[in-house]
Amino acid sequence: MNLRCPLVALLVVTTLALPSCGNDSETQSLTVYSGRSEKLVGPIFDDFEAATGIDVAVRYGSSNDLALALSAEGDKTPADVFLSRSPGPIGYLDDLGMLSPLEAGVLARVDTQHRSPDGRWVGFAGRGRVLVYNIDEVAEADLPDSVFDLTRPAYQGRVAIPGSNSSFQDWFTVFRLRNGDEAAIAWLDAMVANGARFYPKNRAIVEAVGRNEVTFGLVNHYYNFQEIAANGDAQRSANHGFRPGDDGGLMIIATAAILKESDDQDLANRLVAHVLSNAQQRYLTNSVYEYPLATGIDPSPVLPPIPSDSVGAVDIDDMAAEFRHTIEIIEASGILDQ
Amino acid sequence: MVWRVLTASGNPLGLLVERRTLEPLWRTIQLATLVAVAAAVLGTGLAWLAVRTDLPGRRFWRIVIPLPLVYPSFVGAAAFISGLTPGGIVHDIFAALGMDLSLRLHGLFGSWLVLTLFTYPYVYLPVAARLSAMPTSLEENARLLGDTPGRAFRRVVLPQASSAIAAGSLLVFLYTVSDFGAVHLMRFETLTQTIFRTRLFDQDRSFTLALLLVALALAVVTAERRVARRSAPTEGIGDRYALLVPLGRWKTAATGACALVLGLALVAPTVSLADWGLLPYLDGRAGTSLRLDWADVVGPTWSTIWISAVTAVVAVAVLLPVAYLLARHRSSVGGIANGVVVGGFAIPGLVVALSLIFWTLHASPFEFLIGSMPVLVFAYVVHFGAQALRTAQVAVTTVPQRMDDAARLLGAGRLRRVTTVDLPLMAPGLAAGAGLVMLSTMKELPATLLISPIGFRTLATEIWNTYEASFLAETAVLALVLVAISAAMTWLLVVRPGRFPA
Repeated sequence: MNLRCPLVALLVVTTLALPSCGNDSETQSLTVYSGRSEKLVGPIFDDFEAATGIDVAVRYGSSNDLALALSAEGDKTPADVFLSRSPGPIGYLDDLGMLSPLEAGVLARVDTQHRSPDGRWVGFAGRGRVLVYNIDEVAEADLPDSVFDLTRPAYQGRVAIPGSNSSFQDWFTVFRLRNGDEAAIAWLDAMVANGARFYPKNRAIVEAVGRNEVTFGLVNHYYNFQEIAANGDAQRSANHGFRPGDDGGLMIIATAAILKESDDQDLANRLVAHVLSNAQQRYLTNSVYEYPLATGIDPSPVLPPIPSDSVGAVDIDDMAAEFRHTIEIIEASGILDQ
Repeated sequence: MVWRVLTASGNPLGLLVERRTLEPLWRTIQLATLVAVAAAVLGTGLAWLAVRTDLPGRRFWRIVIPLPLVYPSFVGAAAFISGLTPGGIVHDIFAALGMDLSLRLHGLFGSWLVLTLFTYPYVYLPVAARLSAMPTSLEENARLLGDTPGRAFRRVVLPQASSAIAAGSLLVFLYTVSDFGAVHLMRFETLTQTIFRTRLFDQDRSFTLALLLVALALAVVTAERRVARRSAPTEGIGDRYALLVPLGRWKTAATGACALVLGLALVAPTVSLADWGLLPYLDGRAGTSLRLDWADVVGPTWSTIWISAVTAVVAVAVLLPVAYLLARHRSSVGGIANGVVVGGFAIPGLVVALSLIFWTLHASPFEFLIGSMPVLVFAYVVHFGAQALRTAQVAVTTVPQRMDDAARLLGAGRLRRVTTVDLPLMAPGLAAGAGLVMLSTMKELPATLLISPIGFRTLATEIWNTYEASFLAETAVLALVLVAISAAMTWLLVVRPGRFPA
């Protein structure tokens, strides 16, 4: 029976591999749950470890999944710090009462519009909502000033919308709160009537625009930079920011928060302060192409102008209810079937 | 356990019998049925060609045919789409040949195509195992009595393999029902999609729909059990040399068919991944160099290999007794166990992971185990156990009762009978089940991310990591490594011990 050899080998492998788990309490350590990818924020933690000698263990995952895991872990969570792609998942944990306030000194690094009013989360990097367009199809002079222009006949069947994407939902929630439900629903319905096309993800849109499958797309600014990094001049798409103050532009901010159950709040605050330090903020804008949120740090010159609003700027009382309502409106519009 | 978790943490008040629930439900059933049927045809056909005919290069085909299963569906589907759309490499090749392939892949058709191509191995593996263990005498007799190979296949081989085909198709159905990645990219709103979209801000709805998913799975499983009972396969012992059907002038066509399927399911996504991310680096178009070094590949590769192999072995070991119970005895315990195992496969991996976190920490004496390997392996077994169970069940039913009886008459004890009679006869079937679990574990993502020990990396987590950051070239390299090691392990764990006749 040949089956036996690999089996024995595998059992040996298991016993060898198992003892790799376990906690050590000798050195100081922090546990971070990060909804930002390791390729983007990993170097920030490495620098922190090198500078302080504190061990940082990071669990990477999608922000929503990590928030759900944190709520399942509840008061037994090993996590000290949570980094989220957007304020939504953090708001969810805040509603559950799982966050503790950050130190005043850490909060002061960031403008009030990029942090929570009660000091329980702080933004550390921003991604702008922009209009990506195909540079062979559209002249720069013909680009629209406002997101409201996209319902005109000239844009019929040419605009892609990532209806199920969480950044789009963040944007639509703010758009709705600022303009009122009626105007927001009217806009979305007009977009659907104008033949707007649904794509599941930002990147799918940037790629589709690059190969001219669709001319325009409402996306986060970040993806076009990665496509250009990979394809160089062959990438035929560019970002366009709407007129300053237009509701089409919005900054989605990546946020940091400290868990109430963290047994070393000081250490956790030190880590968040490190993320907001000048050096790390420069890294985030120059290498990751995001907008720095600590005051006094200029965004990389290649980025489009800073959108004037951020999700954090709008005071959302019941985040969960608002997002639920947003999702209902998006579903009812029929955009997901386009 | 997962069963209890779901009913406890779910909040099934007021099942939403609304349009927004029923429509995704209907789409899910539609898609899963179509995919299951197509995968059954494809998987059975390929299994017959690879095991029962003189197809040139059989040994090679046996290793590569199961491989499309290993593509994590978010990468596989994405690569597939980008390859087939204008500008993609497959599209361009066809265009160069003068064929317009500008079908926009999305919705029901796109989801069906991609899922069929990535799931037919669920049928192929158990059917190939069954065919290689099947007595050739029946087929020989049919041929001697004047049946053509085709007729013998229809009248003898197909009925004999039917339980394996049903078991495999059921797995395809369940996989399709719980898939998120492919339908998401294909913009086809199924139940899983709705569950994911509402998971954070509308948990009642999310959990209710997850329960609905389980109910759907159980309904289908019950139906399948009914049918399977009616047509129990003939018991049989594999002859050392199975009958090989000479393909004759069909040889070229058969090879072409295998090549076409593998071309679409394995080569196309691989090539378009490479084209997508890697070529710009190779021809110097890209501004940066590859952001990946050896350490980023070797560690995750090793973790992937051992965790998937361990999970495969544990799954078979744990579920073999259940399979015995189901196949040899009719008891309600078996039925319940069957339901639990199958339910675990039908719900999204994320739900399995969250349930395990909750129960390990709050309602069991195993709190200290959180974030350890045993919990991770347990999660995999809960999630993928159905794959081992169905194939093991088929394997158990095909062990002839008379051999067991003969051994008992000769005074062999129960243990001795199992190890000397049953196990060797079941080896191909069990190996196939282990193979399915192994390939699935290799690509598992949500549970691996949420409950593995912190810092544990598999190729799937690294593929996700690079993909999330839009580092597509790196994604391509890692995906190629994943395909390569899954080929090696399929050979080691499935093909070799499976002892398909040469």
